[in-house]
Amino acid sequence: MSKVVKAKYTTEAVCGFTHRTAMEEAARCLLCIDAPCSKGCPAGTDPGKFIRSIRFRNVKGAAETIRENNILGGSCARICPYDRLCEEFCSRCGIDKPIKIGKLQRYAIEQEKLHKMKTLVAPAKKKNAKVACVGAGPASLACASELAKEGYRVTIFEKEEKPGGVLTYGITPSRLPQSVVDHDIAQVRRLGVKFIMNTEVGKDVNLDEMGFDAVFIGAGLWSAKKPDIKGTDLKGVYTAVDFLKKARTKKNDFKPGNVVVVVGGGDVALDCAVTAKLLGAQDVKVVYRRTLEESPATMDAWHYAMSLGIGVTTNMAPGEIQGAKKVEYAVFTGRDKKSEMKIACDTVVFAIGQKPEDMKKITAAKLNEKGGIAANSKGKTNMAKVFAAGDIVNGGKSAVEAVRDGKEAAYSIMKYFEKKGVK
Amino acid sequence: MAVKKDLSIEYLGVKCENPFFLSSSPVGSDYDMVSKCFEEGWGGVFYKTIGFWIPDECSPRFDQNNKEGLPWIGFKNMEMISDKPTEYNFEQIRKLKRKYPDKVIVASIMGENEKEWRDLATLAEQAEADLIEGNFSCPQMTTCAMGSDVGTNPELTEKYSKAVTEGSKLPFIAKMTPNITNMEIPARAAIAGGAKGISAINTIKSITNIDYENMTGMPVVDGKSSISGYSGAAARPIALRFVAQLLQDMELRGVPISGIGGIETWRDALDYLVLGCRNVQVTTAIMQYGYRIVEDMISGVSHWMDERGYDKLDDFIGIALPNLVPADQIRRTFKILPSFDLSRCIGCGRCYISCYDGAHQAILWDEKKRRPSLDEKKCVGCHLCINVCPVQGVIGAGEVKWLPDKLKKFEDKRNKIAMKHNYE
Repeated sequence: MSKVVKAKYTTEAVCGFTHRTAMEEAARCLLCIDAPCSKGCPAGTDPGKFIRSIRFRNVKGAAETIRENNILGGSCARICPYDRLCEEFCSRCGIDKPIKIGKLQRYAIEQEKLHKMKTLVAPAKKKNAKVACVGAGPASLACASELAKEGYRVTIFEKEEKPGGVLTYGITPSRLPQSVVDHDIAQVRRLGVKFIMNTEVGKDVNLDEMGFDAVFIGAGLWSAKKPDIKGTDLKGVYTAVDFLKKARTKKNDFKPGNVVVVVGGGDVALDCAVTAKLLGAQDVKVVYRRTLEESPATMDAWHYAMSLGIGVTTNMAPGEIQGAKKVEYAVFTGRDKKSEMKIACDTVVFAIGQKPEDMKKITAAKLNEKGGIAANSKGKTNMAKVFAAGDIVNGGKSAVEAVRDGKEAAYSIMKYFEKKGVK
Repeated sequence: MAVKKDLSIEYLGVKCENPFFLSSSPVGSDYDMVSKCFEEGWGGVFYKTIGFWIPDECSPRFDQNNKEGLPWIGFKNMEMISDKPTEYNFEQIRKLKRKYPDKVIVASIMGENEKEWRDLATLAEQAEADLIEGNFSCPQMTTCAMGSDVGTNPELTEKYSKAVTEGSKLPFIAKMTPNITNMEIPARAAIAGGAKGISAINTIKSITNIDYENMTGMPVVDGKSSISGYSGAAARPIALRFVAQLLQDMELRGVPISGIGGIETWRDALDYLVLGCRNVQVTTAIMQYGYRIVEDMISGVSHWMDERGYDKLDDFIGIALPNLVPADQIRRTFKILPSFDLSRCIGCGRCYISCYDGAHQAILWDEKKRRPSLDEKKCVGCHLCINVCPVQGVIGAGEVKWLPDKLKKFEDKRNKIAMKHNYE
């Protein structure tokens, strides 16, 4: 009999460092001359510098480095795919295993919170330009913070009740507690960024009429994909977006079903599977159409899911969902075109990717072939005053990449204003 | 079969089953503790210092120094001599000696005047102790008539040593304080007063940490703290220096030395033995890890002896001492370059940083390949790089370069062993 982890939906899966264990971990760091870890962080969080600060007992300095470079330092510390970013580049891999960079980052941010540090301060003198950010997810929060730090007046519009985007609505709290997201967002608020919630741009407000000097679109991907197969409208079939959001908002009142089949192989699929298991499903299986090595989810995420007793089947794609009114069976066909699989279940969750909602309602800027915004790596669109970044541009990547792209877009916006002579 | 060697040794005319003893401290302060340590394999005990004066101890009384999360690099304590009644302590010694006749019990004593020293020595002999140690060195006594203030004063040291030898015929060992420049001076005074052996070192006067809440040292006792004795691993190099100088002193030739300071492992103990100590004493490591550490001391030294073909301790005691020479006798024409095994290098650049910022800018750094290379012209062979490299086996001893002996100071007799030790 295998021993599986029993956990609660709202309890964090991994416990953090204490002063002592953080110091032990920091002491493992080789303090490399060129800190390849720092080069491995898309958002420029600079682990080489903050780990050295921890090592030399300057925890507040460490927290400052993180917060100044990455406004979502707390959230990224929990959800970053380290194994293909900073930790993959860690020189210590040549000796044994990489420094637990994410966990050290989490420790520093926990100290920031404990000591009520106020690292970021917006200048008292405001610049004479107003920017609207559409969406309150990672890209917008990063863009808004960079602008606010320079004295620009920024307003974020969000259609949901709470800010955070995918951080608040799309990840299991066992991986990312809401308090961590809220602490990050509190730093954005401290910079004077205005949040207008429950307000959908293009429906509730028209930005063109509101006198903004520039618009940033970080709307994210909130329209879930469903495969074009029979039975996806049966009761008990969810998209990942709906499933995670329901769980996150209703918490323990949400009953995910007893036998849950999750279709997909990314972090979102695993979040759905973990959510179902932690909320009481008896049997949860993940079915992925490719192999584990082709899957976008990190190996840590697979290990965690399996540690909870979640099963995995690879190289099987959904063929049909069967049932009278509600789900009874999920039928899969093999990648080899020979294998077949029929699973009796009451819930099927499709976590096979998300797509943009109708962007034409928001902007007249040019769209890309997937219906997102066409923008370059600096966040520029075909319209001079419209900028965009994050999932809506790149088709769905990590939060830390959205932070980087949001920052880049903010620098483009600043250049645009400087050219116009804004003071 | 586990390797077991004969570790017995004669120390001041007393046969000891091994040279590993508890030093006079909290670790050997009553019957139960000492009998447990004997059961676990210690050869003897310097029983916690007994006096007529009974101290009033403070709380808390310990602190420790750490580095990079590694605790107990050094340890500070504020405890003084035994706070148990004088007669009670001697009674414990008598009971222990009767129960463990083959173990060695040294009564550590401390008086406030000649009469007290004499009487304590008499009581120790009556209690059937094997040996007597005079504590001239506790640095945290609340009275200046006792402790390290005595050990820094050769006249008092000689006078009290004389008093002890008047009070008892047992061989007397004087325990020295390191809070002095030349330990040889009070050590000679003790021998002149009749002492037969020397123990060194007692703890080093210290402040381990400052507490910023109370703005005083640590430990904080109701808002205040005091300078007091420092011991543990960090003290060992300092202790070895004092011990070596005692052993090399012409006037102290032949006086058996018991080495104390920072012993945790068999290697630490062996350091003292190869310098010439006939006995070693341990406290701090026992406070941290317990009496059981003696098992690996016994086993470790046995394996080392087995490896080297030694049958008894006397085969190697003192063999390292002649190779410790004054700095002006170090051959300056010898230079050993570092060698780099780049197949194991992980490219952290620590050797480059240290060589540039702390040595002679002799390491070149290839930023693209992330690998060091040596500029042999600039390299002085200091080996800072070997000491900072975090990966075992990357930087080692390389080519030996002989520089011209312009002063003709040294004979042209070159040693065969260039560098065997690799700092691991």
